[in-house]
Amino acid sequence: MNIVAHRKRWYTISACVLIPAAIALAVFGLRLGIDFTGGSVLIIQGSESRETAEAIAKANKAENLVATGSGQNQYQLRYRFNEKEDARALQSQLESQLKTKSFEIVRLDQIGPSVSSDLKVKAVQSLAVLSLVILIYVTYAFRKVPKKLSALSFGAVTIGAAFLHDALFVLGAFALLGHFAHVEVDTFIITAILTVIGFSIHDTIVVFDRIREKLTHNPKEDFEVTVETSLQETLVRSLNTSMVIVLVLLALFLFGGASTRYFILALLLGMISGTYSSIFIASPLLVSWNNVRQKRAKSKIKNAKSIKTKK
Amino acid sequence: MAIKRNTRRKIGFGFLILFTVLLCVIALPREDILLKKIGIKNSLKIRRGLDLQGGAYLVYEADMSQLEKDAKSSEVLKNAAAVIERRVNPGGTGEVTVRTANGNRIVVELPGVDNPDEANQLIGRTAQLSFFEVSQAATQGQDSSGTGVVPTQVSGKDVRRATVDFQQGATQPIVSLELKGGDSTKKFAELTTKLSQNGNSLVVLLDNQIVFGPANVQDRITNGKAQLSGDFNVKQADEIATLLNAGALPVPVKVVAQQTVGPTLGSLSIKQSILAAAIGLLGVSLFLLIYYRRAGIVAVAALVFYSLLMFVVIKLSVFTPYVIVLSLAGIAGFILSIAVAVDTNILIFERMKEELKRGVSRPSAYEAGFTHAWTSIRDANAATIISCIVLYAFGTPVIKGFAVTLGLGVVLNLITALTTTKVLMRMMVRSKLSATPDWIGAIGKVKK
Repeated sequence: MNIVAHRKRWYTISACVLIPAAIALAVFGLRLGIDFTGGSVLIIQGSESRETAEAIAKANKAENLVATGSGQNQYQLRYRFNEKEDARALQSQLESQLKTKSFEIVRLDQIGPSVSSDLKVKAVQSLAVLSLVILIYVTYAFRKVPKKLSALSFGAVTIGAAFLHDALFVLGAFALLGHFAHVEVDTFIITAILTVIGFSIHDTIVVFDRIREKLTHNPKEDFEVTVETSLQETLVRSLNTSMVIVLVLLALFLFGGASTRYFILALLLGMISGTYSSIFIASPLLVSWNNVRQKRAKSKIKNAKSIKTKK
Repeated sequence: MAIKRNTRRKIGFGFLILFTVLLCVIALPREDILLKKIGIKNSLKIRRGLDLQGGAYLVYEADMSQLEKDAKSSEVLKNAAAVIERRVNPGGTGEVTVRTANGNRIVVELPGVDNPDEANQLIGRTAQLSFFEVSQAATQGQDSSGTGVVPTQVSGKDVRRATVDFQQGATQPIVSLELKGGDSTKKFAELTTKLSQNGNSLVVLLDNQIVFGPANVQDRITNGKAQLSGDFNVKQADEIATLLNAGALPVPVKVVAQQTVGPTLGSLSIKQSILAAAIGLLGVSLFLLIYYRRAGIVAVAALVFYSLLMFVVIKLSVFTPYVIVLSLAGIAGFILSIAVAVDTNILIFERMKEELKRGVSRPSAYEAGFTHAWTSIRDANAATIISCIVLYAFGTPVIKGFAVTLGLGVVLNLITALTTTKVLMRMMVRSKLSATPDWIGAIGKVKK
């Protein structure tokens, strides 16, 4: 199966997945946890019915009440941040009410606005800096490729595949999950996305490394051929590694705690997308990029020549 | 020459075995029993983060607006953090973490505490102890101008130690103060002399809580010892003593974030995560053995060695200022680093398979495989390490924990590849184990 030759096919598949993801993000947005919005979250547990819990929530002007996934009659109440009431007041107010209905408070989180905006900024910052640093690193590491190729293309494609492809895919999935399943995005999920990006980069670099090695041996070879053989040679290794990672993550997903379930899901989705993008998108993109570059260089020379002849 | 190399290799293998045994010893859960026999007394417990053992997480913001002009805010914040740490961890033995962040924040982590309100009571108070002289008129409620209450030179800074005591026959506790020597004792002696002569009363306030008086002072006190008796019970007396011993906060603080993890949540997660990690490791080992056959043994051995090494480094980090605290995100980072470790092995094996396909001898395939795979391993892992550094520098605390375990894991993985995998593989290519044609999995047609 020739990967590079059929690259238009892979681009189309990616577009079919990514455009809906982008639309989902734009339309539904991400359901942000209190890490990023500030506010209070209480998780209560009890043997009473959901209606009782909802009644209490309404009586205390909670923003919403959601059943947490960990079963056992656990509910999550969420409050917008209120300067006047701090967590203690909220808690004691609820405790007296809850005790009469045999609920107990399992967990109370309160994040003030200064802390939450801080977390938001930090999350975005780390993503931005990471992409810049990797771009520079890969471009530098591949600076010695033959002149007909652009070192920048290696760097740009690496982070393009990682950020624009994989991160977008995972975020789109979470936009859908957030809207339909009330799944929140907190710093855990951001960590998962950063992991996915890191891994995608790792994976892509292994393939690019092979391409570079071939280029040093056969610099005159057609770039498309070089990339294709490199891909075929590293295919087995890529798939094996991904299979290993997916195995580990599946074990975690099935047997791990409920609190990490969505974190693991983000990783799983990201790994699948990452493997796909490293093999079917990153290297073909390299070829496309450099083909366009060569065409432009050729047409520049053509124009220059035709100007000369015109004169 | 060949003999010397063989001996060197055997020594290398010997060291590896010894080192592995040492790692096993340190990694064992009850290693303190064994270590005591050598004379090392400390127990190496892995520090678990709040999300693993349950506890309270509080973030305070310090109000720096009232600082004097030449005061350095970073110094002041450090002082405040030290005071808070003394308050919540008076014996210094608890697993409490107090650290500064962002210029004006103090983060307090209290594992095992499921009611942060009590801690809040201690932490949030400024705890200024002040001694006031109250005129007779003021005591009798006849001081309308407010000049009857005069602050004195004595304050909480003069207190060296505070303890809770009971006077003979009384059920009400008192707080005994031991003042610092020199100036402090002198100041207090002067004050008590003055009060015993002019008949004014003494009132002692802790912030705005009266802890003593107003009462007359009968004699001068020259030994620097005083007793605070007021309307407080044992628990409150304890709090007062703790606050006085820890010192006053240099700046007021208020809580801006609070998270509690119930112990059930915490312990469930860790059990399940460990189970999942074990199952994952098992699945990975099976895959390696099935796909790479006998060479898979080397990969699994390297994995085990790597896990041990990671475990030990985390345990030993307790002795350094950079204690690695395990959290859920950290465990996830570790599990992913296992995937990186396996990837390294796969890279080497696939490379070796390629060489073997070209018909070279096994030892040569091993040499060539390692050399060629190394550039890929180095570059890819370097990118991951750089990513971890960026995440650590810019990330939130959760991200930091993740970055540390992943980054450490990648570094240790490189070490493992260069030691365990190399040594074991080198031995395998020269042994009968690799004599069968599919010892490293299906190779396909070999060029002759």
